[in-house]
Amino acid sequence: MCSIEVNHISKKLPDGRKLLDDISFWVNKGEFVGILGASGAGKTLTLRCLNGLLRPDSGSVLIREEGGAEQDICRAGKKELRKIRQKIGVIFQGYHLVKRLTVLENVLIGRLGQIGSIRSILYGFTDGEAEEALLALEKVKLTSHASARTGSLSGGELQRVAIARAIFQSPTLLLADEPISNLDPSNAKVIMKIIKPLSENLPVIGVFHQPEMTAHYCTRVIAIKEGRVIYDGSPHLSNDLLVEIYGDELKQIEISYHSLPSSLVNEQV
Amino acid sequence: MTINGFSLKRYRRTVLPLGLLLLVTVLACLDCGVSISQLWEGMVKGFSFLAYMFPPDWSAFGEMLQPVLESIVIAVLGTSFGTFLSLIFAVFAASNLTHPWIRQITRFLIGFERSIPEIIILLILVAAFGLGAMPAIIALTLGCIGMLGKLLADTIEEIDSVMLDSMTSVGANKLQVVFYGILPQILPNLVTYALFRLEINIRLSVILGAVGAGGIGYELEYAFNMLNYHRAMTAFLLILLMVLGTEQVSNLVKKRIKGREVLL
Repeated sequence: MCSIEVNHISKKLPDGRKLLDDISFWVNKGEFVGILGASGAGKTLTLRCLNGLLRPDSGSVLIREEGGAEQDICRAGKKELRKIRQKIGVIFQGYHLVKRLTVLENVLIGRLGQIGSIRSILYGFTDGEAEEALLALEKVKLTSHASARTGSLSGGELQRVAIARAIFQSPTLLLADEPISNLDPSNAKVIMKIIKPLSENLPVIGVFHQPEMTAHYCTRVIAIKEGRVIYDGSPHLSNDLLVEIYGDELKQIEISYHSLPSSLVNEQV
Repeated sequence: MTINGFSLKRYRRTVLPLGLLLLVTVLACLDCGVSISQLWEGMVKGFSFLAYMFPPDWSAFGEMLQPVLESIVIAVLGTSFGTFLSLIFAVFAASNLTHPWIRQITRFLIGFERSIPEIIILLILVAAFGLGAMPAIIALTLGCIGMLGKLLADTIEEIDSVMLDSMTSVGANKLQVVFYGILPQILPNLVTYALFRLEINIRLSVILGAVGAGGIGYELEYAFNMLNYHRAMTAFLLILLMVLGTEQVSNLVKKRIKGREVLL
């Protein structure tokens, strides 16, 4: 997959209120796009439309394969959707791992869709797959925790396991729904540093609440307000734009945006 | 009316219902012919009867071990089959896994089963299968579904639905979600519920035995009918041992599970 194209997607509540209003954008391989917006603006809804967890009322989400084949997630049948999802890695805000399984087992779940049901229940995963999963854990520096119960890990470690799962899935598109919202600043930086290089080989789209982070790590920012795209461009946002995106929320954001040490802002990734 | 901040109204509010409850209890006792003197007489008779049953007939001890084993087997098989089937029912009765209609129908079936006592199920099954262990095992299995089916379905519904989303988002199907997402999460509850049900089933297997399922319950009933009270006492002691033993084993396992979960 080298690109994802979102064409005019809209979603309404039964009472007619618009949640998503004619959202369009496209993302290519090599891009790390951050979606920004105030709470309730429609960021997460947009992201859920991209892997079919939510179906928009109108519009299309086209995924283009390297060879030229094109698939519309919004019109895919149940089976087709499962097939497309096997190639879309998703990282969630609350990690959403199976706490009573080991770290390695949680990583292996990334390929659950790619093996048959009978095999997954009777036999499980092969040694080769387990080795690959360990390699994925090595990328997030958690190999030593492979056999630990997932429930015993800290927040930052859990998010790294979730990323390892996405890496092991060998996706052609990576979505991240507020991956750093639950983490302290230093853990958030660690996570962003792991995600950033992944975008060299596949499109990465993340929903964020931290303009300072997207300015530093993303290659592009899309801002959503009241279900509409109001900005799509450079990750370095002007103060006026921040006011427009966040309105009342701005004060807090501004403090964290401008109180960041210049060493971090200028640091090269 | 308030005196020094103490509200008399509030005081009356607690006393009045309690007084009413007492009045209703006394009236009900009078209506049913409950009498203290009768209770006393009965207790004296009961204790002298118990004393008469002593000493137990130790010679029957050996030949009663086989029926005890039979009762335990009935309870264990009923619990195992029941737990397995409950799990299947629970999956279909959990709102985060199935269509609302299927959930409603399954919940109704589970509730319907729960409303029929095991002993009535056994009586119907005996008419169909004849006497023996099999109808008892089926009756206990069905009883299990009524209770564990509901408990497990509620446990599954408590699982974070976004966690299940995270599994469907890698393309996993329902069966895989159940095996990799649901089962590991509900395992401690599953074991605890199954053990609790085993304790109940051990007691039930004695009662069902007396109605025609065989086992130690039948021995007890037979000894009573033959007016062989010393033999009945032996059976009674064995039942006590069986029930207490199961409880001990189940407590031990539960304690170990709890200890391991706390370590998490």
